[in-house]
Amino acid sequence: MTSSRLQITVPVDAPVIEFQRVVAASPTLVFELWTNPEHLRNWWGPKDYEMVSIDIDLRVGGTYRYVHRAPDGLEYAFHGTYRELDLPGRLVYTTVYEGAPDSEAVDSLTFDEVGGGTLIRCRSEHSSLAAREMYVAEGMERGLTESRTPDTVAGCDVGLLA
Amino acid sequence: MDMDNQTVIDRPPLSEAELDRAFGALADPTRRAIIARLTTGDAGVLELTARFPMTQPAISKHLKVLESAGLISRRREAQRRLCQLEPQRLGQLSVWVGSYREFWEASLARLDGYLETLADKGAGA
Repeated sequence: MTSSRLQITVPVDAPVIEFQRVVAASPTLVFELWTNPEHLRNWWGPKDYEMVSIDIDLRVGGTYRYVHRAPDGLEYAFHGTYRELDLPGRLVYTTVYEGAPDSEAVDSLTFDEVGGGTLIRCRSEHSSLAAREMYVAEGMERGLTESRTPDTVAGCDVGLLA
Repeated sequence: MDMDNQTVIDRPPLSEAELDRAFGALADPTRRAIIARLTTGDAGVLELTARFPMTQPAISKHLKVLESAGLISRRREAQRRLCQLEPQRLGQLSVWVGSYREFWEASLARLDGYLETLADKGAGA
């Protein structure tokens, strides 16, 4: 349960994806890492991606927007609204991947102290099963590029989706 | 947490040929845009054509590719032929791709490294 390995759960009958993972920091610091641009730019996203901008208005009803750039120059943007800011244990916000702007997910995070670290649990609830599959297949398609031979994915360009 | 009705899926039951067809179908931006539109509800070919700067035969061709990849299905309703998403196939793909996992694995690995940097800074101060 308190493994530091990333554990992902995909319910077959609900439009939800969950992950959990333990990190070596207090819940208070993890909350800060998740909501402070100065921290976020140092860890959010795959390692070769450059954070282009992070705007955060940290209050219930406030919005955020992240833009990051892949090594091939394509930019990916995400935005959403903070719904619950319950320092340090709970954080709820919506997420829209701007390549598929019709779909909004609600991300609920809990940060629980376990043995000197924090168990992070993130539950993303999508509007439908189809929207969930779309988000994973599309919003994070760069994984596809890494997994398939280049000729199979020639022309993949999520930036064009909108 | 109740895990009884939840399933961790590691490998989808798709053949290499099915995977190639599905990935090939998704490698085109128009087809991905069609899929994105269908996530909000079923649509006929005319409605889809109206959304893209393309002729109806061109859109029909894209729909045929998506259909043979198992990503959509088509059915007749009165005079219309409606396209609907087959979310199961996308689900098989997305889980197979594991890109959600890759995203969070990569991010949280960076987070671990960043925490060490913070600790070093704190110790050095």
